[in-house]
Amino acid sequence: MSDEPAAAADGETGSSFADTVGIWMPRGDELRVMTATAVVLAVFPFVFSRMPVVSDLLQGYQSLATLILIWGIFALGFDLLLGYTGLLSFGHAAFWGGAAYAAGVFSQHVSGSPILMVLAGTVFAVLLAWFLGFLSLRRGGIYFAILTLAFAQMMFYMSSSPLAFITGGENGFTGVETAELFGLFPLESELPLVLETLLGTWLYAFVAVIALLCVALGYRILHSPYGMVFRAIRENEQRAEFVGLNVWRYRLMSFIISGFFAGVAGSLFVIHGTYVPLSSLYWTTSGEVVIMTVLGGTGSLFGPVVGAGVYLYVENIVSGGHPFEFVAPFWHLILGLVFVVTIWVFPRGIWGFFRDVRDYVTGGED
Amino acid sequence: MALLETENLVKEFGGLVATDEVNLSVEEGERVSIIGPNGAGKSTLVNLITRRLDPTSGDIRFKGESIVGHDPHEVVQMGVSKSFQTASIFSDLTVRENAEIAALASEHGSFGFKLLEHRDSLTGVHQVARDTLDAVGLLDQADRQASELPYGDKRRLEIGIALAAEPDLLLMDEPTAGMSPEETEATVDLVEEVKRELGLTFVLIEHDMEIVFRISDRIVVLNRGQVIAEGTPDEIKGDAAVQEAYLGGVEL
Repeated sequence: MSDEPAAAADGETGSSFADTVGIWMPRGDELRVMTATAVVLAVFPFVFSRMPVVSDLLQGYQSLATLILIWGIFALGFDLLLGYTGLLSFGHAAFWGGAAYAAGVFSQHVSGSPILMVLAGTVFAVLLAWFLGFLSLRRGGIYFAILTLAFAQMMFYMSSSPLAFITGGENGFTGVETAELFGLFPLESELPLVLETLLGTWLYAFVAVIALLCVALGYRILHSPYGMVFRAIRENEQRAEFVGLNVWRYRLMSFIISGFFAGVAGSLFVIHGTYVPLSSLYWTTSGEVVIMTVLGGTGSLFGPVVGAGVYLYVENIVSGGHPFEFVAPFWHLILGLVFVVTIWVFPRGIWGFFRDVRDYVTGGED
Repeated sequence: MALLETENLVKEFGGLVATDEVNLSVEEGERVSIIGPNGAGKSTLVNLITRRLDPTSGDIRFKGESIVGHDPHEVVQMGVSKSFQTASIFSDLTVRENAEIAALASEHGSFGFKLLEHRDSLTGVHQVARDTLDAVGLLDQADRQASELPYGDKRRLEIGIALAAEPDLLLMDEPTAGMSPEETEATVDLVEEVKRELGLTFVLIEHDMEIVFRISDRIVVLNRGQVIAEGTPDEIKGDAAVQEAYLGGVEL
């Protein structure tokens, strides 16, 4: 008890400090997490696609590194809903694909600025998440999953034919016109000097900066009252209501926040591919993000990003041949096996395994 | 004016009348116990007051305002808190976070947009949570995961969550159910202490007659959904109808 007043005093100085410099100052270990993330993002494309020996073994390439970050953002936001709030949506393709179409159409008719495209796609996804969340969250559990699936499939159908004059129907949307970043740098062009070796293209740099911002945002949300409320709702929804929290509105916010991340990722996906395939709205896309999240580890910020990396690696590299000639035709099977074995051996996913190893090494409890 | 009033409150499940024209009135600062045999409608009555169930007819007023038509979290925000019969806690959260959740709801309302504000800056919430954990004797275990607590401590945490909501009226649904004699004793002490220090109004649902007679100002006896007797512990002990219907004539 004797140390309690000291702790209270600390809390109060912290508060006035925050009031003066605003909520944007890093708190706790945020600075450390951001720095570590920035370092990983900075060396990832080099290690993956250019580093001697390692990249030969991995067979990685620049464009896949970018794609992994984009899906990573999607999965990170999805886990805020699945892993923290405990809601399984099976319709997140609606936000990913919806944002992709919105950003694509925006680039054709309004502006091809990558930043504005991301904004447009994200705003669309957030508004859509608000609307679909409002309708779907009336029911819990499996009914919620089926409702989200149904809404996403409706969108798939709408863009496949009734709205084909906008979306390009079966052919997907081909009219994407991405302009230079800040009006100066074509995204596919290479970065100057050492940055070229490390990061490669302007596109990667653009995606990496947004990914870093997304990690910062996700980390802050998890350490805001929301993070605690989300976990409380997951743990005991009835009790959360009976301490006086409006569970319904917090759930809707969780849904909208995950829609936001899906929107950012979906917009980047268009910029990356300069094309929106119709399949981006298909239910398999919703399924993929579920698998990535569970594979990487639900209830963690970085697990789903790792899950996205492993998933895309198997899908793109193992399926492609050398050095995986023997298994390449069976890559779907490999993916299934990776998933089953991971979940079987490490129920908390790849990231849960990392945590267990860390706790074992440091002798920490749990 | 009574803090809590029910007026001709009726709840029917199909043909079964679980609550039958109940007129209950709880004054501020009072400790009222509701007793009755199994199936007398005690839990139904609490669930009606906390808005878990909709009444078939009748009215419930808190601080003079009807709460029928409000959501459960709104009733909590008005000042009615409930501790559950089982340890209804947030198992995967720490003990401190369990209390902070309730304190957050009482300090910052049922919903807010503080998704970008770090939890460290919520000093009011931390203070309430710390005080509450201190009051229920769990402060030294604040950083443990709630699921690791022994059962008795989980029940104390359950009461702590209800207290951290800073209620004007606390409904306790069998706070000592499933506890060992020592834990029961500690919980009764806790209830008395809280009563003394916070001046809370209690409505207690309890099976253990010893506890009921010890800590109640007034006792309401329910049978088959109806109030059959009401009075001080001494009056209830001597009431023939209660002896007959509830205590089965056992000499106390």
